[in-house]
Amino acid sequence: MIKPISGVAIRAVSSVVPTRIARTADYVHLSPEERARFQKATGIAERHIVHPGQCASDLCTTAALRVLEHLAWAPESVGALVLITQTGDQPVPATSLGIQHRLGLPNSCLAFDVNLGCSSYPYGLAIVSSLMRTLGIERALLLIGDVSSLTCAEHDKSSWPLFGDAGSATALELDEHAPAMYLDLMSDGAGKDAIVIPRGGLASRRPAGDGPAEQETDRDGVTRRPDQLILRGADIFGFAISKVPPSIQRTLDAAGIDSGSVDLLVLHQANKMINDTIARKTGFAGDKTPSSLEHFGNTSSASIPVTLGANAALFSEAQRSTLLCGFGVGLSWGCALVTLARGTILPITESDHVY
Amino acid sequence: MTIDDFIEKFAFAIETEASSLSPETDYKQLPQWDSLNTLALIAMADAEYGITLSGQAINDTRTIADLWTLISSKVKA
Repeated sequence: MIKPISGVAIRAVSSVVPTRIARTADYVHLSPEERARFQKATGIAERHIVHPGQCASDLCTTAALRVLEHLAWAPESVGALVLITQTGDQPVPATSLGIQHRLGLPNSCLAFDVNLGCSSYPYGLAIVSSLMRTLGIERALLLIGDVSSLTCAEHDKSSWPLFGDAGSATALELDEHAPAMYLDLMSDGAGKDAIVIPRGGLASRRPAGDGPAEQETDRDGVTRRPDQLILRGADIFGFAISKVPPSIQRTLDAAGIDSGSVDLLVLHQANKMINDTIARKTGFAGDKTPSSLEHFGNTSSASIPVTLGANAALFSEAQRSTLLCGFGVGLSWGCALVTLARGTILPITESDHVY
Repeated sequence: MTIDDFIEKFAFAIETEASSLSPETDYKQLPQWDSLNTLALIAMADAEYGITLSGQAINDTRTIADLWTLISSKVKA
């Protein structure tokens, strides 16, 4: 069991999605009957997706500006910027450097990228809070986002209709009175092929179909370019419902409480069947597990902040003890049990801004 | 815990009539079978039998009797 982190407060969380909407009802690669079945099973009616040219870095920059403005933080007061994405602007250098410059953060601000997906939020809180406590960094920004729509083949029914694009920013500050954050962080690389982009560049500015790339037909029967995402849903489902509930339980055990003492469980938004199963197995009723699947789909790394933002009203009246749980690509999974102060969660905003 | 009970639960999970299924049914050849049904099957096995089926294990089965053999062996294990 890993130690809790105390003395770091979550001051604000913002999420940004593009304005363009892709509806399940309009997806031409499924029949009308299949679309209805897909929507019922996954809970996904529509997602926001970027126009090619808008990057995860753009969405995250807009989200970062929003929290800086909301908190009235001067850019020079920020001592660390960590970006978690799997769809960076270019392979080299780290995308966080460009964002540091755009935001006008000082040279004394450390900035780097982390490559994780659906487990990003608990990992990000652990990474940034540990840095802040150990190095004495007063204020930090944790940016998390992906433009997964640009990594999927549009005809790939196993991935394309699931993913929405989003960016987020979480502002953290040292505060000796902040409540402890309880963590559980896990990895299993034996499942590294369950969600995989086998080859190719990950730059989100790269237009679909750019450059020579041979199509390959996978064992699932779908033909893709080798720089496009393969998602093996059955493998992920089995992993999620067997490994995630014990992680939630370990987190509760670390805090010495049971599920009844937690106000809200915010799960990575994989699909409705997976999330309903995890909630049932861990004793969280439907009204304690807010979702964003219907209008935003699976927003990959950003799904936890997007779900918080889509349900911002739940956080406007009182502080909430909230268990945040991410799981997926890697395989990587984990939880963070945090106390979110009243008014910390900003509603989702839409932006197509490209920097 | 019999194969007849299992066929009832399987039929409910994939939204079809149990009377149209038998142990010999080559279930992946059913007109309504698709990848979402694989997920529904995994969810049903978890809820009803408390076991986790992997995608690969399901791939290796052909008939409903094969599925039942797989599930009952995991329940006993």
